[in-house]
Amino acid sequence: MTRLSITLIIIYCLAFSEAFGQTRLVNASTIRLSIIPTYGTNAVVIGDSAFRAKDSHNVQIEVLKFYVSHIQFLKNGAVVLEEQKSFHLIDAAVKASFHLAIANKQGIEFDAVRFHLGIDSATSVSGAMGGDLDPTKGMYWTWQSGYVNFKCEGKSDLCKARNNEFQFHLGGYRQPYYCLQTLTFPVHNLNEIILQFNAETFLNHIDVTTHHHVMSPNAEAVRLSAMVANSFSMVKSNSAK
Amino acid sequence: MKTKIILCFALGIFAVAFRSADGERFEVPVHWQKPTYDFRKNPLTGNTIALGRALFYDPILSRNNTISCASCHSQYSAFTHGDHALSHGIDDRIGTRNAPALMNLAWQRSFMRDGAINHLDMQALAPISNPTEMDENIAHVVAKLQATKAYPKLFYKAFGDSAISGEHTLKAIAQFMLTLVSSSAKYDSVMRKQAVFSQQERKGYLLFQIHCSACHTEPLFTNHAFMNNGLPVDTTLRDMGRFSITMNADDSLKFAVPTLRNIEFSYPYMHDGRFKRLSDVLHHYTAGVVQSSTLAKELKKPIALTSNEKVDIIAFLLTLTDKTFLFNPTFSFPPNMIEEAAKD
Repeated sequence: MTRLSITLIIIYCLAFSEAFGQTRLVNASTIRLSIIPTYGTNAVVIGDSAFRAKDSHNVQIEVLKFYVSHIQFLKNGAVVLEEQKSFHLIDAAVKASFHLAIANKQGIEFDAVRFHLGIDSATSVSGAMGGDLDPTKGMYWTWQSGYVNFKCEGKSDLCKARNNEFQFHLGGYRQPYYCLQTLTFPVHNLNEIILQFNAETFLNHIDVTTHHHVMSPNAEAVRLSAMVANSFSMVKSNSAK
Repeated sequence: MKTKIILCFALGIFAVAFRSADGERFEVPVHWQKPTYDFRKNPLTGNTIALGRALFYDPILSRNNTISCASCHSQYSAFTHGDHALSHGIDDRIGTRNAPALMNLAWQRSFMRDGAINHLDMQALAPISNPTEMDENIAHVVAKLQATKAYPKLFYKAFGDSAISGEHTLKAIAQFMLTLVSSSAKYDSVMRKQAVFSQQERKGYLLFQIHCSACHTEPLFTNHAFMNNGLPVDTTLRDMGRFSITMNADDSLKFAVPTLRNIEFSYPYMHDGRFKRLSDVLHHYTAGVVQSSTLAKELKKPIALTSNEKVDIIAFLLTLTDKTFLFNPTFSFPPNMIEEAAKD
């Protein structure tokens, strides 16, 4: 069985065993969008040191959170449906946060899903907000304004920083360090869409032996934000039954 | 008929105010521009302002419940940290800047000496989290507030929800700060033709208009810009100002131009509180400006003032003292508010 097949099975099981049986009621007029944080073929388990990267070192993820916002559905490149007040914090420590339900009462057809990774500039200058944007969520910088779009903290045997710790806090709402990313995935008029964010893919872009901290809006935060975007992929999508 | 139309138009201009559902008004002083704060997103109410005032004076915002906002922003110092060049916070830790005076914040576009904060709602997060100020975090503050007897009731009165959030905590503090409007100095009375300057004050005002008002623009006495005013770099602090936020070399050594309202009470002066007296400040502008690539263009050519002219300018600056603001009881510590709420 190929690595990809294993990934698909694990993530598919994750999506359906943990999500829709729990709190959110969905039906054919609801689009179910799941975004699963993984490390390679495994679901991320916060604090678990069992991950073994491609070069056989141990990696432990302590924090993995990111914002998904402005979810839109497209048909032939045009927006046909968009979620209102669309701000979601995906937290690897909170499985319920992986699964989003977007109303589509009119059964609008679409062929792609698009969303932002992070929080846009206009929202970032609009003052205090609640829900997933509440600053108690730990995703708002305090020494200067702006949301942290993506936060990944952990330990790696290879990391030469204190306690082998790495911390990547990526954000920035102003040019030239505007870190917002826009991701688009083709789908086929589907009601169940499963994406994954593969933390291993992201970390493989970084030499953590020497590069273990990004804590400010800067050029490196912009570069790594693009790497984060490249670590998302489509796992599966189904039509409603 | 024409007279009536003009009169109505004039009343329309002079009666600018933002009124919330419970009738709470934010009055815009005559001849002042429209505030930049968007009151629609956080409409003022009496209960929310009262909650914000309680929070402003409550050390529960700090890690060990010893430091409140008022610790570094005392009313009698025009809501700055008087008597200290560098403000000190929790455990007597000393920061790197002098706390800015708080007034007329509804017209301000950014906050902190370097403009790090882009919205008044979010300003309180910075001192709450700074290890030399309150050394707390907003999530823990919310948990502490929720565990009290009084605050869930006060939040319910303010927001209709006793479940306390970071959003509501910050918006309440912002509402109280928005009420800190200073517009009743002698200068204001003169502008409204309700008083007249003395001869010395008038001479000082004319000199001020020539030499100072380009940056300290009336009526707020700031242009809300970031400027390098030629201070020599303090090598013990190496504070680069706005540059540390934008990482743009053009912003090196630039700091927010402060208001001069209530300057008589808001000493010491400059971002690092290096000057204790107004005469020291004027001496800097006439004899101490350091030339550099980012120096404000208004200061490229030295300002020439005689000793008497400096005294005249200081006489004018003292007309910016607003005692109805400095001693306004609605801005002071709210006695018994928490205790009374806990009893209800």
